[in-house]
Amino acid sequence: MNSLSPEVALSRISPELRPLLCSVVRNGRVGLDSTNCLRITDLKTGCTSLTPGPCCDRFKLHIPYAGETLKWDIIFNARDPELPPDFIFGEDAEFLPEPSELPHLVAWDAGDPDCLLQLVKELLQQYHQYQCQRLRDSSRLLFEYDSLLEDPNYGRSMEIYAGRKNSWTGEFSARFLLKLPVDFSNIPIYLLKDTALDPGEDVALLSVSFEDAEATQVFPKLFLSPSIEHALGGPSALHIPAFPSGGCLIDYVPQVCQLLTNKVQYVIQGYHKRREYIAAFLSHFGMGVVEYDAVGFTKLTLLLMWKDFCFLVHVDLPLYFPRDQPTLTFQSIYHFTSSGQLYSQVQKSYPYSPRWDGNEMAKRAKAYFKSFIPQFQEGAFANGKL
Amino acid sequence: MAASISGYTFSSVCYHSANSNSDHEGFLLGEVRQEETLSISDSQISSSEFLHIVEVHNHEPCAQLFSFYDYAGKVNEENLNRILKDRRKNVIGWYRFRRNTQQQMSFREQVIHKQLTNILGIPDLVFLLFSFISTANSSTHALEYVLFRPNRRYNQRISLSIPNLGNTSQQEYKVSSVPNTSKNYASVIKEHGAEFFDKDGVIKDIRAIFQVYSALQDKVQAVCAEVDQSERVKEKIQEEVKKLKEEISLRKRITAAEERRHQESLNTENHSLQDDSALSDSSSPPSLTRVLLQSPPLEVSLDWPPNSTALPLYPAAPAPPPAPPSAILLPRPQAVGSPGHPSPGLGLGNGDGSSSDSLNRQAIGQEDQLEEEEEEEDEDEDSSEYENLVSERLQSPSLTDTAVSLGRPAALWPDGDTHSSGGSS
Repeated sequence: MNSLSPEVALSRISPELRPLLCSVVRNGRVGLDSTNCLRITDLKTGCTSLTPGPCCDRFKLHIPYAGETLKWDIIFNARDPELPPDFIFGEDAEFLPEPSELPHLVAWDAGDPDCLLQLVKELLQQYHQYQCQRLRDSSRLLFEYDSLLEDPNYGRSMEIYAGRKNSWTGEFSARFLLKLPVDFSNIPIYLLKDTALDPGEDVALLSVSFEDAEATQVFPKLFLSPSIEHALGGPSALHIPAFPSGGCLIDYVPQVCQLLTNKVQYVIQGYHKRREYIAAFLSHFGMGVVEYDAVGFTKLTLLLMWKDFCFLVHVDLPLYFPRDQPTLTFQSIYHFTSSGQLYSQVQKSYPYSPRWDGNEMAKRAKAYFKSFIPQFQEGAFANGKL
Repeated sequence: MAASISGYTFSSVCYHSANSNSDHEGFLLGEVRQEETLSISDSQISSSEFLHIVEVHNHEPCAQLFSFYDYAGKVNEENLNRILKDRRKNVIGWYRFRRNTQQQMSFREQVIHKQLTNILGIPDLVFLLFSFISTANSSTHALEYVLFRPNRRYNQRISLSIPNLGNTSQQEYKVSSVPNTSKNYASVIKEHGAEFFDKDGVIKDIRAIFQVYSALQDKVQAVCAEVDQSERVKEKIQEEVKKLKEEISLRKRITAAEERRHQESLNTENHSLQDDSALSDSSSPPSLTRVLLQSPPLEVSLDWPPNSTALPLYPAAPAPPPAPPSAILLPRPQAVGSPGHPSPGLGLGNGDGSSSDSLNRQAIGQEDQLEEEEEEEDEDEDSSEYENLVSERLQSPSLTDTAVSLGRPAALWPDGDTHSSGGSS
C-alpha cells in the first residue's frame, strides 16, 4: 500500500472530482492529531478499463484517530461526479451512521470543494459516538469516560477508540486521546523557530491505553507537537508520571496538565529572567560586553581587564535559569593550550542564589571575578603558552 | 440456505453490469422455497432438516444510479414501484456492481437494504455484490460475486451455485429446477408441443411404452392361467397313472396267486415225480420271469402312441391349445420399440434351447420316454413356439421355469434367440 504524494493523487483522479480531493489532501486536518494529515492510497477507477485516464474515482483514505489509523474506502463515480460518494468503513463493519446526522451528505453539493472534507469530519464525529457506545461493554471505562465528559476542560476534545474484544481471552481494550488545555501561546518565539517542518498548531496530547476492562494495565503517553517539544527541552519533556494503580483519569489528567503547565511556566519565566540578567550585566559592565544573544538571551561574553591582564568571560544561561546556575567560562587571550585552543577554565559552582535579582547577580558576579582572577592568571601562566 | 441462479440470468446480469461505465444496480426476481428433508434411521426416529432455497429467475436492471433513493439513502417507494411495476411480488433481492472495490457491503447499501426489507416485506432479502477487479496493465480481469443475507447476524455470505458452470466432464449435465420464464419460450413450446405431448401433458412415447408393458403383463397373466390349467391336468394324469399302477400290481398279484394255485395243483399231481423238483424250481423262475417279462409289455402297453391309446386316458393332452395361436405367440421384440415377430428357423425345442436339454435331464421315470416321444412328435409341428408350450406343459419342473422365463422380457435378446436364465439352471 503505497502512500501517494498529494500531487500524484491529484493528477490521477478524475478532473471533476479533483477540487474535492484537493481540499482533503491540502487542508485536510481532522481530529485532534493534526500533525498527521490525511493520506490517500489505492486510487482505482470505476470506469471500464478502456476509458482513457485520468479517471480514478475511488480511493482509500487514512485518517488518524485516537492513536489508530482508520482506513475508509470512498467511492465516487466519475461518470456522475455530482453524486455523493459511498463509504466502506474498513474493519468496522458494524459502524453505521444515521444519514440524517450527516448534513453534508443530505445536502451534498459537488460544487463546494470543501464538501467532502466536511462530510469526513461529520462521519468522524459519528464514529466517535459509536466508539463511546462501545465503551458500555466495560463499566469501569464508561465511568472514566463519563467523568471526563463532565469536565469542560477535557470533555470537548476527546477521542475514544474502543478496541475490538479479543475473542479468545475476552479482553477489551480502549484508548483515550485527550487534548490537554495547556496554554503555549506565551512561549517565546525564538524557541519555536528551529523546527524545519511546518509546526502547525501547538498541541499536547495525552494518550492513555487501557489494555483491559478493569484498568489494571494502563499506559499513558504524552505527545507534543515538535516545536513545543523542542521548546521544553527535547524528549525529556515527554516524561510524565506513571498512572497510579487504582487511580482514574479524572485525577491523573489534571496532574499531567499541571506538570506541563509548570514546565511551560518555567520556560517562560526563564526567558524573562535571562533577559533581566543580561540587561543587568549590560548596565554593570557596559563597554566590557563583547556580544550577547539578543534573541534568546542565552549567552553573554565579556572582555575584562584586571591589573593589565585581559580575559574573556563567557556566560551560558541554561534553559531553566534561574533554577539552574549559569556556567562561567574564563578564557585567557594570551595563552594557548597544547591543542591550539585558548586556555580556559570553566566554573560551574560559585556563589549564587536563584533568589537574587539581575542587579544583585551582576554585582556578585563582579565580586567573584575579582576574587577568582588571580587564580586564573596563575593557571594561565602555568599551563598555557604564549 | 442455498441459492442458485440459472446460467443465462447470470450472464445477462454480468453483461448489463460490465457494459455500464459506472456502478450498476438492479433487482433480483425469483422465488424462495423451503425444502424439508425427513430422514429416518435406526438410531433416531426421524429428523427433519429445513433448507431455504433461493432461486433467481430474472433480473430488473436500473437505468441509472440513485433512481429509487436520494442522497441520504432514503428509498422512494413511488420510484421503486415505477421500476418494478407488477413484478414487485417476485423480488427476492437486489444486486450491485462496482469495480475495484472490496467485497463488503458499503454504508449506503446497508442503509438501502434495511429500507427495502421493510418496504418490500421480505425478511430474508438477499444482496448480490459483484466486484470487478482488473490488474494495473489490464491483462487480467476477475469478476467476483458474493451473495449476502445481511438481515442475519451470522453466516451472512451464502454460496451461489450456477448449474452446469464448472467442470462437466466428470459429472452429468444437470437439469436445473430454475424454470424458464421467457414468454417466447412458452409460446413456442405450446405451439410445437402437440407433437411430443398428448392431451394430458405426458410425453407420447411414455404412453406407448406403457401400452407395451401392459400387453406383456396381459400375456403373462394368460400364460399363468394356462399353466394353472395344465398343472391340474398333469395332476389328474398322475393320479390316473398311480391308479393304473395299483391295478397292474393287483392284477399281478392275482395272476401270481392263480399261478401258484395252479402250480400247487400240478405239484400234487406230480407228487410222485419228485426228482423233478429241481426242474420245478427252475421252472418257477421261468414262470416268474415270464410274469416279469409280462410286466414290461403291460407297461409298454401303457405307452401312448399318441394316436390311439393315449386318447382314452388323456383326452385333453395332445390336443392343440384351445386359444388361437396369436394369443400364445408372445411377441419377441427384436429391437426396442418394434412389435415382435416370431423368429423362424428355430430348431427342435430350441425356442428355449437350453430348456429342452433341461427337460431331458429333469424328467422323472416314465416321463422320459413320454417326453422323447412327444418331442419326436412335435418335430412335425409347424411353429416351433408351439412345441415350447405343448412340450413344456407336460413336464412339471421345467414348466414352471419356462413360464417364469416367458414373463421376463428383459431376458430376451434382440437377435431373436431366447435364452431364459431360468431354463439354463
